[in-house]
Amino acid sequence: MIINENMIILDLEAKDKESAILELAKQALKEDKITSVDDFAKSVFEREKTYTTGVGNGIAIPHGKSDAVKEAMIVFGKSSHGIEWESLDGKPVNIIFLLGVPDKNVSDIHLKILSQLSRKLMNDEFVERLKMADAKDDVLEALSDINIE
Amino acid sequence: MKIVAVTACPTGIAHTYMAAEALEKAAKQLGHNIKVETQGSIGIENKISQKEADEADLVIFAADVAVKEESRFKDKPIYKVEAQKAIKNAKAVVEEAIKLAEQK
Repeated sequence: MIINENMIILDLEAKDKESAILELAKQALKEDKITSVDDFAKSVFEREKTYTTGVGNGIAIPHGKSDAVKEAMIVFGKSSHGIEWESLDGKPVNIIFLLGVPDKNVSDIHLKILSQLSRKLMNDEFVERLKMADAKDDVLEALSDINIE
Repeated sequence: MKIVAVTACPTGIAHTYMAAEALEKAAKQLGHNIKVETQGSIGIENKISQKEADEADLVIFAADVAVKEESRFKDKPIYKVEAQKAIKNAKAVVEEAIKLAEQK
């Protein structure tokens, strides 16, 4: 599974971008999706340096490609207080999808799921559903809409 | 107008597809015909054929890395922006691109 209920954090403690990425990455480690929080986070931070993954509308999609990732995965986090992310629209972020992809041998199916998710994030209705979600099931249900053609 | 576009980003995981979705929506809203090719981690998807490239009035590159097979679009007006610009305001990107095409 690319995501499961243990990879959803509905109330992130982190107050800034770096600690939010670490908090989500730790969850991925617990679920055995990555081999090292530090190594994976490094690839995500490197990516952030190129330009922000705060795509506006309160959403950020930090992501990294690293050999510390065992299989493609999504960790979802929500923050009630909003996190500064140098977003394209300057607004703080409440919804975070941390995406991880292995360096090699990534299945196309997983990449397609990630690409579908990215596309969905341009859909206001989908984003609203995620913002309203107050249970893990709501998040999983919203994500279950993602179809692999 | 007939628009073809190519999107690409460094990791090819997220921005490529967000930019593609945003451009498709914006062009349709503005009443134009668009085909968007994504050059991401999955490889090239929804590929623009030479015929489609030839028939296009306008080409948009929303890319942060070099576009593959750019020679398909030679002699066409190409409007180039960063992928994130298309994500932030795809409508403005399409409108600017159309202005460019009309000047040529």
